[in-house]
This record gives sequence, structure tokens and C-alpha cells, in this order.
Amino acid sequence: MPNETVPTFSPTRRSILKAASGLAVLGTGIAGFPSIVRAQTKEMIIGCAGGHVGWMNETVVPLFEKKYDCKIALEGTRSSVNLEKMRQNRDKPYLSVVMMDDPVLIQAVGEGVIEKLTPAGVPNLSSLKPGTVHMDGMWANYQQPWCGIGFNTDSAKAVASWADLWDKNLQGKVIIPSLQNTEGVWPLIFAAALATGKPLAEAQYDIDAAFAKLKQLKPNILNIYTQMPASFNLLEQGEASMLAGAFSEFAIPREKAGAPVALAAPKEGVGAMPSGIARVKGGPQDELALAFINEMLGPQFQEAMITKTFALPTSTKAPPSDIVPADIPVFAPDWGNVAKNRQAWIERFDREIAA
Amino acid sequence: MSKATLDPHTAAVARPGHRGFKIDPTAALALPAVLYLVAAYAIPLAILLFAAFRTPEGLSLANFAGFFADAYNWQVTYNTLWSAGMSTLACLVIGYPTAVALARSRGVVQMALLVSLILPLSVGVVVKAFAWTIMLRTNGILNQALLGIGLIDAPLRLLFTPTGLVIGAVNVFLPFMILPIYSVLRLVDARLPEAAATLGAGPVYRFFHVLLPLTLPGIIAGVAFVFSLTVSMYVVPNLLMGEQFMTLPRLVARSYLYFRNEALGSTIAVILLVIAVAVVMGSQYLIRLTRHET
Repeated sequence: MPNETVPTFSPTRRSILKAASGLAVLGTGIAGFPSIVRAQTKEMIIGCAGGHVGWMNETVVPLFEKKYDCKIALEGTRSSVNLEKMRQNRDKPYLSVVMMDDPVLIQAVGEGVIEKLTPAGVPNLSSLKPGTVHMDGMWANYQQPWCGIGFNTDSAKAVASWADLWDKNLQGKVIIPSLQNTEGVWPLIFAAALATGKPLAEAQYDIDAAFAKLKQLKPNILNIYTQMPASFNLLEQGEASMLAGAFSEFAIPREKAGAPVALAAPKEGVGAMPSGIARVKGGPQDELALAFINEMLGPQFQEAMITKTFALPTSTKAPPSDIVPADIPVFAPDWGNVAKNRQAWIERFDREIAA
Repeated sequence: MSKATLDPHTAAVARPGHRGFKIDPTAALALPAVLYLVAAYAIPLAILLFAAFRTPEGLSLANFAGFFADAYNWQVTYNTLWSAGMSTLACLVIGYPTAVALARSRGVVQMALLVSLILPLSVGVVVKAFAWTIMLRTNGILNQALLGIGLIDAPLRLLFTPTGLVIGAVNVFLPFMILPIYSVLRLVDARLPEAAATLGAGPVYRFFHVLLPLTLPGIIAGVAFVFSLTVSMYVVPNLLMGEQFMTLPRLVARSYLYFRNEALGSTIAVILLVIAVAVVMGSQYLIRLTRHET
């Protein structure tokens, strides 16, 4: 009896119609209960810096996923790479939100790949500190990581001034960032202020003075880096004594972990890093994107993130931070000027400082 | 060659002018590789070449003229050739005696030498370069060793110096020098230097007039290998030199990834390609020349 041992499938017209009607009922059911079924499949992709993936997954991502019952996928890479992705996928964007440095966001505005934020869609926009909403709402800063001078605590007890980098006893012991990195502008801007004696807001435009002063730093330069972690390791090991432009979110956790390093906030000031957040033009999950941006600009998420990033909050409703002494200026430069001149500065830097 | 004359299929392939020319069916075995190389190499190369010669006014050499008009680019080209040249020379000086030792050793010793040569190839370049950033420090193992044996009185600065770069590069590329020389040395008749010795030739004379000429093809192949690899190295200079020592491959990466200047990136890539092709073709010519002379 072959039919008892080998199962066979002989579809009849009746069985096919039955199966089709069953599927149709199931499909209608799915479409009819969006709050149950669709909410579980909601997913949003956010482009951010590679170094941000760790703290975001530990702080803001779980908060948001729980509150909005969705999944967040982070694409962590360089800001310039995320910009390239937006350009390449301009017709069919897959990123909903991007978190980038301000100079790159200026380029993103030029490329027309990000969309304006308004208080109607992002209510927390109205309670941000002055100077943190840019180009009439094209993007906003969700935090201000700050840059000072990282130093090896076995080599020095404190760093009082940016002028200490030029100390004759530090020959071959200073590391500075490349101008390709956003933090690369700090040695240049503080060099301009030291050379001219002008306030930072004015000195930042005196780039000839900045290069002349930076040229005097050459005997002290051990390395000009593009990859910060490797250079920071040299600081921890004592191969370097100072690292100009060290990040709060990188240096302070290492200090707290017991490494012989500290981050100084010199008397001339510290640099406010431009951590911007923007909505991708025509990106998927637009409502979710606006909700995420709103939360990132609000006190609850900012309070959570700065426990890991040791940055300054930008929401006026967030508890004030004492991570930078109150008498030390926190300077945000004219990023538009930086973006406009950066390529020319890099080429000049290559020839006058790095070579 | 002898097979070509015996096998009628191969003979037909070898003489395209022959009547009734047919493609050897075994050539189809190379089809997957050919297709892969066309897609992954030939087409991108054609695009690269086109981008290098394309200007708003049409195809021209303007991008190359612009590149070489800048003195800084000459410095970068010099850095690239210098680091490749010095690394190749250091590999040759260290690699030749090693290849001789390898060829003359037998049994377990030879096995141990071969394993110690091949095994490091499985370690990634990034890992090796990072390891050198530790070893080249002022308090690193290299300085400690030099201080320990009394060669230096104070630690040398090696990290982020051209010397450190060459040391790191030699570690990565040395096997590519040793293996071609070793493969040629294995074919050298050991009785030839002995015969020279019986005729009164001293060790130095035997080396320069017997062994060295016989192993020239291996040396040329090793030099071509190592030079081609070191002239295009990216990770090692990036980690061991930072921004202070710009090379052509790093300028290519910056042009594409940072400046978004496709024309500049393609132009430099073509210059690098010309250097590499010149080295390979030059070495082939030299190998043929040495074979002809010997």
C-alpha cells in the first residue's frame, strides 16, 4: 500500500481555494491590527560615529526602544562616510536619523540630504542652550563633548595653559590630532589665541598667526594622529606626555578606570565638540525619527548619556554639569568658517607642520 | 615547451597562424578566474584610468601635470620610493643569508625555519604594526635590548621615525624576499661552489662569482615582490609614522575618502600602478637577461 507509507500531495480545486481564502483572512488580520503586529516590526536605522555605538547601546537606545516599542539599529562609522551613504542613497534613503559633527552637517545641508527640524515636530528644540540650533533648525546639538589637554599623570600633575604644550622640556612628547579629525582644529585655534592675545572668538580667524605658532611646536611633536585610541595608548604608557585636543568621552573614562591620565581644562578654555543630530530627508519612519531627535534633545536622555560621555548637556532642563569648572570658557568656533577652509588648512598643515 | 610540440591541441594554440586554429578546451578551466579578474580588476582599472585622464576639457594629462607641479607631491613620491627602497634593501640583506641557511639545513631544523617563516604570515598586518608601536617605544623591548648589550647609552627615538617604519615593514614583508631566493637556491647544484673551491677560489670569490650569479633570478623576484608590496603599503606607515610621513597610498586614501577628489585619487593610483608595473616588468627583463648570460 504505497499511500500509507509515502505521503502524497494532490491538490484539488477545492483545497486550493480553501488555502487561498485562509491566507486572505490572515493578511486582513495583520493589516487590521497595526498596533500589535506592526509595532513589533518597527525598526529605524541611525547613522552615528563608530565611537558612539557603545555608550548609545548602553544608555539611550534601550530607553527609546522601551518607550516606543521599536528596534534601533546603529550604523557607526565616520561622519564623512555616513554623508557619503546619504548622497549615494539620496533617492531611497535607508537612514532615518544621522548624528554627525557640525562641519559635516554643513556639507549635508549643501547636499540637500537633511530636513529642517521645527518645534512642532521636535518640542525640545525650544529648550536648548543658545548657539546649539544651527542654520535655522537644520540640525541641533544633543550634547557638547569637550576637548582639553590629556596628560600623563606620571609626567605632570596638572596642565594650566595651552601654552604648556610649547614647553622646551617636552621635546618629542606631544601628540596632536590631524586636521582631518574634527578635534584637529583645537591646537590651531588655541595657537591663534596664544599668538595674537585676542579672545578665541576673534583669534579663530587669524589663521596665519595660528600656523606660525603651531610651527614652533614641531620639535615637541611626537605624532600627528588620525586614530585617537592608538595615540591615547601612547599617552597612557608614558611615551607621550600630553595629547592636545583629547576628548572628554575618551579621556575621563580612562582616568576613572585607573589609567595614569587626566584631562585638563586649561585657563584659556576648552573646545566644545559639535555633536549634531539631524533628520534624513525622505528617510523611513519619519515619526519615529522625530521622536528620537526630540528625546535626544530632552533632559532625560541627555542626563543618561552624559553619565558615559562626560559631555556638557545642551538642554536647559538638564541638571547642570560640573565636569568643566565654571570659570573655564567653553568655546564653540565658527564651524561654517572651519568647514569652508578645512581642505586648504589641511593642505597647508601637511606642508608646514606635518612635513 | 616540449609538451607543446607533442600535444597537437597545445601546438595549435601556440601557433595562432596555424590553419584550423582551435582553442584548447582546457583553457575553459581558467574561465572562473578570468571572469572574476575582469569584474574585480580589469573593469575597475579601466574606470580608474579613465578618471585619471578625464578633465572638464576631455581626456588629457592635465591631472598628472597638476600633480607633479606641486613640490609637496614630489616629496611624497620620494618618501614612498625611499621607504620601499630601504625596506627592500633591508629585506635583501637579512633575507639572503636566511635563505642560504634554509636551503642548507635539513630535517627538523629546516622544518622549524620554514614554520617560523610561514607562520607569521597568518598574523594580520594591523596586529603586527600595533605590536611594533609597543616594541619601538623608548622603553620598548628593542631599546632595552640595545641598551642591554651596550650598543647605545640612551634610548633611541624609533617610533614615528623613518627607521621605525623600515623596521616594521621588514617584519611584514621579509618572507616575500626569503621564499623566492630559497626556491632558487634549492635548484643550485651544491657541487658548483665545491668545484670552484677545488680550483682555489676563496669563500668571498665563490660567493660573488658562483653563488650570487646563480641565485640572481631569485633575488630579482624577491626584490620585485617586496618593492611592489612596500611601495603600496598603507597600514604600516599609517600606524608607525602618523601624518608626519605622507606616502602615495595614503594620499590616494585621503583624496577619495576625505577630499572626495576622484581625479586626484585616480591620478596618484595610476602613478603607483606605473611604478609597480615598471618594477615587475623590469624584474622580468632582468631575469631573462641573467638566464641568457648564465
